[in-house]
Amino acid sequence: MNDRLQVLVLDDEPIVGKRLQPALAKVGCDVEVFDAPRPALERVAAKRFNVVVTDIRMDDVDGIEVLEKVLEQWPETKVIMITGYATVELAREAMAKGAFDFIAKPFKPQELRDVIAKAAEALGFAAISRAVEGVTS
Amino acid sequence: MIRDPDGAVAAAPESVPDEGSVERAFRERPSIGIRARLVLVFLSFVFFAAAVIIGSWILLARLEDRLRFLEAVDRYTMEIQQTRRFEKNFFLHNANLQDLRDHLAEARRLLVAAEPDANKVLTAVELHRMRTHLDGYESVIARLANGESGRSDPAGRAAIEAELRDHGSQMVAVALELAEKERASVNTALSLFKRLPVAFLAFLLAFSVIVANVLARQMVGPLGRLMETTQRIARGDFTPLTPSRWYRDEFSNLALALNTMMRELAHRQDVLVQSHKLSAIGTLTSGVAHELNNPMNNITLTAEMLKEDYATLSDEQRLEMVNDLVVQVGRAQKIVRNLLDFARESEITTERLDLAGVLRDATSLAANQIRLSGAKIVVDVAENLPAIHGDRQTLSQVFVNLLLNALDAVGKGGQVTIAAGAAREPASVQVVVSDDGCGIPAHVLPKIFDPFFSTKSRGKGTGLGLSVSLGIVRQHGGDIRVESTPGRGSTFTVVLPAAMVPSLNDAGNPPATPSPPSPPCPRA
Repeated sequence: MNDRLQVLVLDDEPIVGKRLQPALAKVGCDVEVFDAPRPALERVAAKRFNVVVTDIRMDDVDGIEVLEKVLEQWPETKVIMITGYATVELAREAMAKGAFDFIAKPFKPQELRDVIAKAAEALGFAAISRAVEGVTS
Repeated sequence: MIRDPDGAVAAAPESVPDEGSVERAFRERPSIGIRARLVLVFLSFVFFAAAVIIGSWILLARLEDRLRFLEAVDRYTMEIQQTRRFEKNFFLHNANLQDLRDHLAEARRLLVAAEPDANKVLTAVELHRMRTHLDGYESVIARLANGESGRSDPAGRAAIEAELRDHGSQMVAVALELAEKERASVNTALSLFKRLPVAFLAFLLAFSVIVANVLARQMVGPLGRLMETTQRIARGDFTPLTPSRWYRDEFSNLALALNTMMRELAHRQDVLVQSHKLSAIGTLTSGVAHELNNPMNNITLTAEMLKEDYATLSDEQRLEMVNDLVVQVGRAQKIVRNLLDFARESEITTERLDLAGVLRDATSLAANQIRLSGAKIVVDVAENLPAIHGDRQTLSQVFVNLLLNALDAVGKGGQVTIAAGAAREPASVQVVVSDDGCGIPAHVLPKIFDPFFSTKSRGKGTGLGLSVSLGIVRQHGGDIRVESTPGRGSTFTVVLPAAMVPSLNDAGNPPATPSPPSPPCPRA
């Protein structure tokens, strides 16, 4: 098994992906970035990701649907929801539906890296946790 | 304040009567109260009645004199006739002369007694004639009594008899004539007296009709005007009443009270508009806070990564990140400024407005609510839409409110259409906000514009939105119509008068705009 964590980042704000790509790559993740849900879902159907980071509120398909689709196909995958101020209800719903965790906007890259490290640990990727700790120190 | 229903006031502020000057105009007028007028009318009735009573009393007194005189004349005539009977006896049977002289003396006494009255009835010539004959008769009788012409002298006796007869018949004729004349005059007075009450009644009737008419016009006129005013107030037009008559009375005080009430109502309306705006701001703020999260998140991520990788990044990469920061800060600023513009408490100012711009403001304010609701929004503004006159802030409040209501009514995947175009009414534009949501039940429909009426759960709606919106639109001389089919959706139509030719408005001459359309629901 590849010891680099396979991560998909989906947010309709392009800057989010643009900044998270190097931030996560640094700690040993292979990151694929999407700013629209449909291409992202197509990609998920084709490839198994260890972690999917998705925004909840998007125009076309919302994050809950993405969560359901991902878990349907890859029950092992850890899905992390990005929520805004007004979507705490949705976040709670997402947790009930099997999301690994959620993170509220605005967040720092390190905060997401911490959550991803937790997910990696749960999945048995010890290298990621060490790398994340390495960035902070 | 928008006081004029024509909506053209702000262009010509001097045309709005200011409250102080209106009140002064009322106070400056001479006060003629309704009570004073009624007292005057009744006094004049009393005066006429008194005049008629005094007049008839005088007439009656005079009639009494006349009758007394007539009686005297009758007695005088009788005495003369008695005298003549004794005269006949004297000549035929040589009866004694004493009885004749008694009656003659009585006649003389009566004549003397009646003389003051006679003066009024008879001419001097007639009176003189009467007196001459009486004197002549008396002197002849005196001669007879003295026995001047002896009984034996038949010629002298015949002459005396002829003279006596002549005087006697003349006296009787004059007395009868006098009695006749007096009787006729009394009859004339009596018939006049009979007609007098009828004439008085006719006069009283005419006078009453005129007075009643004048009073009624004075009461009904202002009442009608005040009634029109109350209807005007119901339509949301708070233009103060101005004096319409040269005097001041209780109705003027009522008009002043109405003006005060309208001032208070306008003030309350402003307060309601403000408090509704605050609740709308509350709703919008949660959306704006969420909307702000996106640029904030972008800024945080970019700034953090810039800091973290500063040493390893190339100059171009750093520049790109700084540019991203600048753009995202601008985006955040714009979101906040929209809300701040809406929230800013400002005097209502009327200006020429492009309706499309107002609708753009409203939709961008509610952008996040739209996004959250998951509904689709279609905005369709007709080309060459005439401009309107109005206050940007309050009008955008109306459309934000209608939009938020529509979003509440439609669920996810619903559609809200905002269409602006020419209205059915002449010289008006309309904005139709329709949704395909749950609709409004027919029994609720008449109540939706009532203040504090809300179908939303406690704490979610203030029940002020539609009431305040209608108030705002009516202040602009417009109206809001609503149609709804439960289960199929609702349509709110905001009709606003179009602004007229700009040059006219700019010159401060408000053009004649059509009066606001009458409200569709009788309740309003």
